[in-house]
Order: sequence, then structure tokens, then C-alpha cells
Amino acid sequence: MTDHEHILTLKGVYFSYNHKREILSDINFYSTKGELLGIIGPNGSGKTTLLKIISGVLRPQRGEIYFLNQSLNKLPIEQIAQFISVVPQDTWVTLNFKAKEVVFMGRLPFISRLKGETLKDYQISQEAMEKTQSLSLAENNIQEISGGERQRVFMAKALAQTPRLLLLDEFTSHLDLSYKYEMLKLLKTALKEEGLTIISVFHDLNLASLASHRLILLKEGKIEQIGTPPEVLTAENLQRVYGVKPFIINHPVLQVPQVIM
Amino acid sequence: MKFSINNSPKTVARYGYPDWRKKLILMLLIGSLSLLVVSLICLNFGVTSIHPRVILSILGNKAGDKTTGLIIWQLRAPRIVLGVITGAALSTVGGAFQGILRNPLADPYILGVSAGAALGACLGITLQHLTGYFFTSYLPFFAFIGAMFSLYLVYLSSKISYSANSTGLLLAGVAISFLFSALITILMAISHKELQSMVFWLMGGLSTANWQTIGIITPPTLMGCLLLFFSALDLNALSLGEEEALYLGVNTGRLRIRIFLVGSLVTAMVVSFTGIIGFVGLVIPHIARLLVGPDHRLMLPASAFLGGIFLVLCDTLARTVIAPIEIPIGAITALVGAPLFIYLLRKENK
Repeated sequence: MTDHEHILTLKGVYFSYNHKREILSDINFYSTKGELLGIIGPNGSGKTTLLKIISGVLRPQRGEIYFLNQSLNKLPIEQIAQFISVVPQDTWVTLNFKAKEVVFMGRLPFISRLKGETLKDYQISQEAMEKTQSLSLAENNIQEISGGERQRVFMAKALAQTPRLLLLDEFTSHLDLSYKYEMLKLLKTALKEEGLTIISVFHDLNLASLASHRLILLKEGKIEQIGTPPEVLTAENLQRVYGVKPFIINHPVLQVPQVIM
Repeated sequence: MKFSINNSPKTVARYGYPDWRKKLILMLLIGSLSLLVVSLICLNFGVTSIHPRVILSILGNKAGDKTTGLIIWQLRAPRIVLGVITGAALSTVGGAFQGILRNPLADPYILGVSAGAALGACLGITLQHLTGYFFTSYLPFFAFIGAMFSLYLVYLSSKISYSANSTGLLLAGVAISFLFSALITILMAISHKELQSMVFWLMGGLSTANWQTIGIITPPTLMGCLLLFFSALDLNALSLGEEEALYLGVNTGRLRIRIFLVGSLVTAMVVSFTGIIGFVGLVIPHIARLLVGPDHRLMLPASAFLGGIFLVLCDTLARTVIAPIEIPIGAITALVGAPLFIYLLRKENK
């Protein structure tokens, strides 16, 4: 196995709700082990739908999805959850669980309903909370913490699921600048040291440029371009997709493109 | 950092997660003990009051007086046991339905099982009235068929309108309930002389209790409640949202069918003998949640115990307050339950 093996491959994927308007059409891409692949595009371009297709919550009408060499199309959700985890945009928890109990739910794909959990499940949950700096929230009720704190707890839950592929949907939207920074650092470490692969939807183009190795630019359910941030974030591409022509400048330290109006 | 402060090696190894299995065992002990005490106390009350010492000697089989033994063994004891089973079943199902629908207002009758059972029974009573044959002991059978029929209708109509999702099932349940209520009203108009026995099915009661009934409903009810209990972790996950539960590998579609089917079967089983006893399945899960927290692995068993105790107490009130006349137990559960519920909600919000 090389470092550049394709961990996820999509081939000719189409999706529509009730066979009406196509939300996604002819999606082809791969993602290599250890990379952070960003998905950008205007509202309604199919970003979140694409994440749902990968996670198995929605199934494509046509096309194939492979995780390593295994087809995901027919794989039951119970098994997909053992190697793919998701941090959604925002969720409201209807019951007032403690934060640590929510993190522990990340272990569900591995817990036998008859035998119950083991100490190892608690240990992994604890480590996930340490990594995401949410340990101090452990005893708090999930309904009573702020949106940013909840996002850290949900990140901890996703890590407790010990995924090989992590899917993020605008996970930084509620985070303060300092936590945004910490979270990016955490993800970079996870990519390098734990062999994690991340696919993340970004609303913020500049953050996408800073965080991602490669970007997918979506327009009306089709892939407009895939490539490194300098390849994708050009004034011409953005004008074609978003309809306005922005200025592109170079980040003074990191040498990646930044978009300003 | 609440985790590192505790020095006991065992607690450190559990990483601040309390052992729910120990809590469950403790709850089973406390629950059974309170259930036993409440049952013994309630054995005392009735049209004739019997001295506790006499009751103990009868239960210990050192019986003296035959009539007293009969009252205890054939009248009061089965009634109390039926109360425990009914209360426990309705509360467990209510808790599971609130979990699966992510809705605190759900109760065991939400899919229209109650209306079906009542319609079945009322149909039986009308048939008796019209034909002159008496088959009162078969009325539970009529009720059960009615409940199953309504469940089938709900399933059919939800399939037509939506896929088998919660909203579709709920709306179908509401529609079927209204339809059946209308039919019951018509039946009541046709056979108004039988009004009394029809009201029994609408307000519920434990007066039909006997050991045979208990023998019939206990095994399936117990099995159903155990099945619900083993879905507790999945119900926990569902509180994060439908999609979140899917991300955690919970097949929510199959879970929903399992919970609805098992829950409605258990409810139909019980309601077919006791009539529609309201409020227990709605209120008790909330009280259980306040006592033991939202984790369904603790909340569902707690609901069972609390529901059993609550219904036995309500039934004792129902048969003693204006004895020898019996108040329908549904009236008592609502009368006691509603103020208690509002009080608890106020307390929770403060």
C-alpha cells in the first residue's frame, strides 16, 4: 500500500429526489489517503447532498461509490458507520444528554446491543474529548451549551467513531477564531499521524483554501473543476460559478489564494 | 477537568462514565421492592377491608376463612397483577414511542390502536344486543381484532400518502382514530341500552382481571417490553436527529417499524382486556426521565416500574373512593396524572 492509495472513488454518480430535477449529475472524483479534500460551490449546488451520498444516507440512482476496493452502493448503513463518520452543520438534540454521553454515542457502530459497551469504548470517548478540547464540557447538558461548544462535542463524537474517512459539513461555522485555528491544527495532525482522510464542505472560500489540499468546485450539481487551491480559486472560475468577479490575492505566509470582493 | 480529580483507580478506569449496569440492578431492586410493598398495601383496600395479618396468612397459604381467601386470591390479587402489567406495558411503550417520534407528546395510542380496540369491543357489544347471544368473555378477542385492523389501515394509508415515515404514520393514525370514534358513536346510538358496558372500553378498567387473562397477556407483553429495551441505544442515538442516527449506523427505517409494531402489539394486547386507559403512557415516561435521566436503557425500565405502581394505586382509588360503585380507571389516571404532569413541567422549566 502506498501513501497515495485512493481511499474513496466516485464513478458517474447521479442523484435526484423522486426522479425530478437532478441534484447531482455525473460526479467523478477520488480522494487519496491522508488528504483534506474541500468541496465549495454556491448555495444549492449540491455540496451537502454529495456528503450524504458518500455517507450512505442517500443512495445514488446511478453510478458507483468505492471505499478502497469495496462498493458502498449496497453496503448496509450499519457497516458504513464503522469507517465513515460525519459532523453535520448543526443539530438540535431532543433529549438533554450530557456532552460525554453524546460523545460516547460515537461508539454505537461497534457496540453489541446485547452485550453492551466495554471500558475501551469509554477510553476512546475520553481521548476524543481531550483532542477536541471538549473535556471541560463533559458534564454539561448538551441543550445548554453554545453552538460552538456543541460543534466541538459533535467533532469529539465523530472522532470517537474512529473513522477512516471523516466528512465535515461547514463544521467551523459556529467556532470562534481561536477554536477554528485549534480545530484546523487538530485535523492536520489527524491527517498526518492517524492516516485519516477528510472531505469537508466549506462555505468560507478562504478557509477552504487554507485547509484543503485539493478543492472540488460544484456548480448546479456538476463538478466545475477539481485541483489544488491555486488551480481552482481563480477569478475566472469564481465568476463563472458565483456570477461575480472577485479579486484573488496571495496569502503572505502560506502562499495560497485568498478571495476578496 | 472532572475526570482526573478522582483518585480511586476503578473510577479513573471508567473515565467518568458511571456504570449504568449497576444503576439498572439497583433500580430493579428498588422497583421490585416498592412494587411489592404497594401491592400488599393495596390488597387491604376494597369494599370489605381485610386485616393485613389475615392477608399475610392467606398469602402464606395458612388460610382460615374461605370467603376472605376467595376475595384476596380471585378478586384483588389478579386485579393488582393486571394493574402492574398494564401500567408497566403502557408506560414502556409510551417511552419508546416518545423516543422514536422525537416527540414528548407521543403515547401508546398514537397510531390509533385504542380506537380500533374500542370499536372492536363496541361492535361485539352491539352484536350481542342485536342477536341476543351473549359472548362477553370473547369481547377481548373482538377488541384485539379491531386494534390489529386499525394498525393495518394506518400502515396502508401511510404507504399511499408517504413512504413509511413518522409523519405519514402519525397523520394516518389520527385520521383512523377519528373515523373509528365516529363509528363508535353510531354504535352507541344504535344500542344505547348497552352504553354502560361500552363506556367501560372507552374509559378502561381492571375489573375483568382473572388469572387466565394474566396468563394470556403476560408472556407477549414481557417479550415486547424486552425487545423495546434492547433498542434503547438506538433510541438514544435518534435523539440527535434522524440523520445523525443514520451516521451512527442505526437503520432508522427498520428501527421505526420494529418499535411501532412491537409497541402497538403490546398495547393492543393490554387494551383488549382493560379498555383504553389514558394518560399513563404519556405522563409516566416524563417522570421516569426526570428521575433517571434521558438514557433509554434506564428510562424504559424505570417507566415500567413507575407505571405499574401508578396504575395499581389509581385502580385502588377507582374501586374504593365511592365503593361499591367503581369509577372508570381512565378518569382517575387523568385526574391524578394531569395536575402532576403540569406541576413537574413547571418545576423542570424553572
